[in-house]
Amino acid sequence: MSVATPTSAPTTATGTRGGNVDGQAIAITVFSTVKWWGRVVLPFVFVAPKVAPKTLTTLQRLSFIHFARWSLITQIPHNGAPQPETKLRYPHLYFESNFNGGWEEYIDAFSHILTTGMWTFWGSSYGFPKALPTGPFKAYIKANEMEASHFYSAYPEATTTEIKQAIELDPMVAELRERADRMTPEEFATAFAELMSEAQRCC
Amino acid sequence: MATAAPEAVRIDLGDVQGDILRAYGNAYERTTYVFVGIDEPGRGREWLHGLVDRVTTAAPWADAGKPAHAMNVAFTAAGLRALGVPDRVLRTFSDEFLQGMAERAGLLGDTGDAAPARWERGFGTGEAHVLVTINALGPTELDAALAELRTEVVRHGLQIVSEQPAQLLPQSREHFGFADGFAQPAVEGVTDDKAVGGGVPLPHGTWRALAPGEFILGYPDEDTRVDPKRRLPNAPAAPLGKSGTYMVWRKLHQDVALFRRTVRDAAQRLDRDELLLRAKIVGRWDDGAPLVTHPDTQPDEFDGRAEGANDFLYERADGDGHRCPLGAHIRRSNPRDALGFEGRLSFRHRIIRRGMPYGDPLPPDALADDGADRGLVFVCFNASISRQFEGIQVQWLNDGNIFGLGHDRDYLLGGTNGGSMVIQGRPPDPPCYLAPQGPFVTTRAGEYLFVPGITALAAIADGVTG
Repeated sequence: MSVATPTSAPTTATGTRGGNVDGQAIAITVFSTVKWWGRVVLPFVFVAPKVAPKTLTTLQRLSFIHFARWSLITQIPHNGAPQPETKLRYPHLYFESNFNGGWEEYIDAFSHILTTGMWTFWGSSYGFPKALPTGPFKAYIKANEMEASHFYSAYPEATTTEIKQAIELDPMVAELRERADRMTPEEFATAFAELMSEAQRCC
Repeated sequence: MATAAPEAVRIDLGDVQGDILRAYGNAYERTTYVFVGIDEPGRGREWLHGLVDRVTTAAPWADAGKPAHAMNVAFTAAGLRALGVPDRVLRTFSDEFLQGMAERAGLLGDTGDAAPARWERGFGTGEAHVLVTINALGPTELDAALAELRTEVVRHGLQIVSEQPAQLLPQSREHFGFADGFAQPAVEGVTDDKAVGGGVPLPHGTWRALAPGEFILGYPDEDTRVDPKRRLPNAPAAPLGKSGTYMVWRKLHQDVALFRRTVRDAAQRLDRDELLLRAKIVGRWDDGAPLVTHPDTQPDEFDGRAEGANDFLYERADGDGHRCPLGAHIRRSNPRDALGFEGRLSFRHRIIRRGMPYGDPLPPDALADDGADRGLVFVCFNASISRQFEGIQVQWLNDGNIFGLGHDRDYLLGGTNGGSMVIQGRPPDPPCYLAPQGPFVTTRAGEYLFVPGITALAAIADGVTG
């Protein structure tokens, strides 16, 4: 747990183009062309009980990552005339993620911690160089990345880690508040110290 | 983090400048950093020609022992341009080096009083071109080397932009009073004996040294050390990319009186022992003993260079920060395994630090500022300024999110808006809070530099860089 300070948030969303940044958050959008067999394999990968949940659990431990989403695109959504209908010759893997911190640190985390998961998701994409070493992997992601036309964060100074901490802290404060009316000042001082002791573990 | 043992790499020490892999601060008492400006490429190269053979390399010192002084040379991007290095070669250098430290000030937190507009004359303006660092055994040797350098600079029609003297303080302390410089990264093939506590932690409690390419360009780094295709990390175009490195030079003013008053007042307010509070802020006692291994009292004697002195990790021994607070300076700047995943989020963000204090110490018990300029000349070497130095400064010291500490800035450095920190209490003790203070430390000058290998330096002097 940290105590909020009145100072403005520092610059931490680094290493990407301006359109991908709003406050503390970075958006990453990557399209890659998928080989024929990826169309068959990827739908299973997305729901595979052994692979996906493990990646998911690790992703959840990396609390600076808001979410990561992989989808298989087989055709461009058609919104009616005058947009022409476009059928893709090859399926495409669409990756979208939001995170806090620097772009390089984010890709490093994927390379070093989700090494196998990266191969599972991108292994069927043309040109995928493996997640390690990170140099070629970063170059691959950069080459296939698109700058967001519009990226908006409702709480640009907040990070997911802070929000998770706040959600964990909220009921503890509410519980003390509910009891506080019936306490003497001395009892409140003790209870407050206990709350602080307990709340410092929120993370 | 691959652990398979790659082939051993032999570093060509005779081609690497000497102040990178060897801590001259331990060997020499005096240091002066001389920044030279070059108006005309030909005169600049002619001057460099005369220096090349006298630049100190990393080759082991002969039986006669260390020389009376050591000399090393580095260049800003403006300096390489001023010496006639063509744009197509310059474009192969890293973006952050080409931009320079002043351009990156907002990112680094150098704002307000620390902003480049308020830096000392000649810095962040493109005027500082070549940094000549002279380390000397004592004042006599230093004066002789400086006199020779000044004469040559004037003879070639060049200008001295700035001279910054620095010197060791008693007991290797910095001005706040802490022993400094213990946790240097262990480099494979150079300081393998320092791997325990200085390298990469491995499962089962062992350590290994870091790949040399993390600090010396042209060699495998942590990314490529096990690459079957034997690719090398990005580096400037040959011949500049071999045996060189990037250098960060920052003059950091320290407000020692403010730091002492703040810690004294906080100790009284929190009813804490002042010595322990100082240790909680830094993560080490004044003598350098780590809180993780010495949580309650400062040991009677501590030798930070002794075997095992830095052998500690955070996650299992002190995951909750009851010994060393989660926001302590050393836990932020070198988190070891504190970010989880067995250190895999931190092992690529290591730097070789070669800082040296400048200015006379404030008398031991003084609590009022005497107006004197004192602080630390922060110097570090790394193969990637953005990944290594800036990663530490921006993500770990200027912000606390990655550690679950919100937007707390490092308390010791603070920055324009001041640092703040929580000192975790061991239940049932509540934590205590150190409110934003400072800044204790203010950037007064700085440059990003490139330190070429000896062959590359000769190529720059010859004007044959590509």
